[in-house]
Amino acid sequence: MIRRFGLRQERLVPAAALLLVVVAFAGTPLTTGHPMTTFDVYNALQGFAQIGLLALAIGLTMMAGEFDLSVVGTYAVGGMIAVQAGQSSAVLGLLAAVAAGAAIGAVQGGLIAWLRIPSVPVTLAAYIALLGLAYVISGGLSVTFKNQHATLWVDQTVAGIFSPRSLVTLGAFVLAAVVLGGTRLGPELRAIGGDRRASRVAGVRVDRALVLLFTTSGTLAALGGALLNFSFASANPDPGLRPLLIATVAALLGGVSLAGGRGTAAGLLAGALAVALLAQIVAVAYLPDYSTQLFYAALLAVIVAIDSPGLRRTLERVRARTTTRAA
Amino acid sequence: MTTDLRTGPPVAPARVPRRRPGSLAVALAVLVVALVPVAVTTDRFLTLDNARAILASAALVGITAMGATLVMIAGSAVSLASAQTATVVAMVFLATQDRGLVVATLLGLLGGIAVTALQGVAVGYWEANPIVLTIAAGFALGGGAIWLSGGTPVNATTDGYELFNSTPLGLPLAVYVLLVLAAVAQAILRRTAAGRQMYLIGENRAAARAAGLPVGRVLVLAWAFFGLCLAITGVFLASFNTSATTNLGGTLTLDAIAAVLVGGTAITGGKGSALRTLGGAVLISVIADILLIRGYSTGVQILVKGVLVLAVVVLVHVRAARGSR
Repeated sequence: MIRRFGLRQERLVPAAALLLVVVAFAGTPLTTGHPMTTFDVYNALQGFAQIGLLALAIGLTMMAGEFDLSVVGTYAVGGMIAVQAGQSSAVLGLLAAVAAGAAIGAVQGGLIAWLRIPSVPVTLAAYIALLGLAYVISGGLSVTFKNQHATLWVDQTVAGIFSPRSLVTLGAFVLAAVVLGGTRLGPELRAIGGDRRASRVAGVRVDRALVLLFTTSGTLAALGGALLNFSFASANPDPGLRPLLIATVAALLGGVSLAGGRGTAAGLLAGALAVALLAQIVAVAYLPDYSTQLFYAALLAVIVAIDSPGLRRTLERVRARTTTRAA
Repeated sequence: MTTDLRTGPPVAPARVPRRRPGSLAVALAVLVVALVPVAVTTDRFLTLDNARAILASAALVGITAMGATLVMIAGSAVSLASAQTATVVAMVFLATQDRGLVVATLLGLLGGIAVTALQGVAVGYWEANPIVLTIAAGFALGGGAIWLSGGTPVNATTDGYELFNSTPLGLPLAVYVLLVLAAVAQAILRRTAAGRQMYLIGENRAAARAAGLPVGRVLVLAWAFFGLCLAITGVFLASFNTSATTNLGGTLTLDAIAAVLVGGTAITGGKGSALRTLGGAVLISVIADILLIRGYSTGVQILVKGVLVLAVVVLVHVRAARGSR
């Protein structure tokens, strides 16, 4: 029963969230009076590119019952390295950032897997250390990215609504979907998140999978930071916690839970698109900035309510009492 | 592991027996011993002014960390809404200054307690996930704060709040409040039934529920105390800055968690103490202070703090895992 509910929720939540936001997005011309342009869609996809890779990184770790708080630190350090190393060659900067992200993730994954430490304190400490590292690399100041060619290249329009940046982000989701759906890794990841001890006993190589998982999340976060900074033509050593929180909202709307054992790459894509579209609706409809925060709070409140076993028990008890009284 | 914690109505106060120093205590002792020569050779470190500076910088994060300790011991991991809660309290406190200092302070404290205790209800009775819940609360408080303040800094019409900036005997008032709160938190944890039940709930919530402990009520109490600590932090932040913007809380959220973790409290709950958190907050301040005097940049200070937290986390959990084997 609980299992079935979980499966249903894994598809229902992202589908409902995306549908709701797409309908609202399509309806914005009614309130603004301006017809929607392909540029609005392009902008929404740029927003998707900004948080998509972080949402995928954190969503994958949540499937396995972990929570990688350090992704936003890796995002900052990766972005900083990409800008510093990519002043003459953007590809070189990108490669350096991705390599650093993979190494940062692998070290944390190793600690979490082999010492069996919960991921929240490890990744929180790593986040603080990485924030310090980003300050050290940059001297505490924003760094300008002078490679204008790369800045223009990543944001050029492709087929009207895409950019290389949003296409890379989409590509990462497709790759994740293929790998999780086509290999044993998908079921293994959910098994590790659902019941780690049982999956160990059943022969899943849990430690190896965890190291791989955190290496992946570090890589994705660094790639996301690098692409963002190429687009902004500058690197900020301290992006704050906001990107992490928004990525978590996207992942939760994508049907994963912090308890683990649940979620798909397609769901995460739907969650990330829903969050990006929501931000675009607020921008197009000239709603005040804080309304995005209030929308996120409301959406999360729904998810908290669905995911609270105690609340569900109470509601069932109330329902049982009212039906017996009626009978 | 928790045999020293009585669950029934305490006839006589249960004594918590002294444990032999574990590897963590040894490691921290080594760290402190290693710090001493560095500290002594650092110019201007061993001065009264510097000791004051260290305590003052530990005070605000320490106050929030006291509340976070109870919540973490009771197994609710962490709150990601600390900075926003303190900010909203600061705004309420400053906006209501014209009604008198007592009214403004009470309104601020009650607001902080109410908002945070409500999250305790969701965690305690509904078994809501604390991380998701506090992210939601953070967005609601942050968005609400901008909405109500119009995005402009909140200023006070009178300066009654200056009382909270006073420095009796040369130390900021916040330092005394931190020490009192540490004593109160320690007393709650060790001397009250609810406090000892926090350890049991943190150790194994299902077992605590099966044993008939009032899980919901105890968790609401832990979160309400956390709310009080956050609110006090907010009042001091407001008084010190004399105006409140939406990012007043700054890095409070993670700094407080870092202090609790450096104190050796396990994130999985069931272990830890308020005095250890006090030690953690002071240790972080001492190290930051040494680095600052020796001319290291902000980046190096943050980096060292992260590495310190990581080292303590590894030690605490390796030790816990070995104990359970």
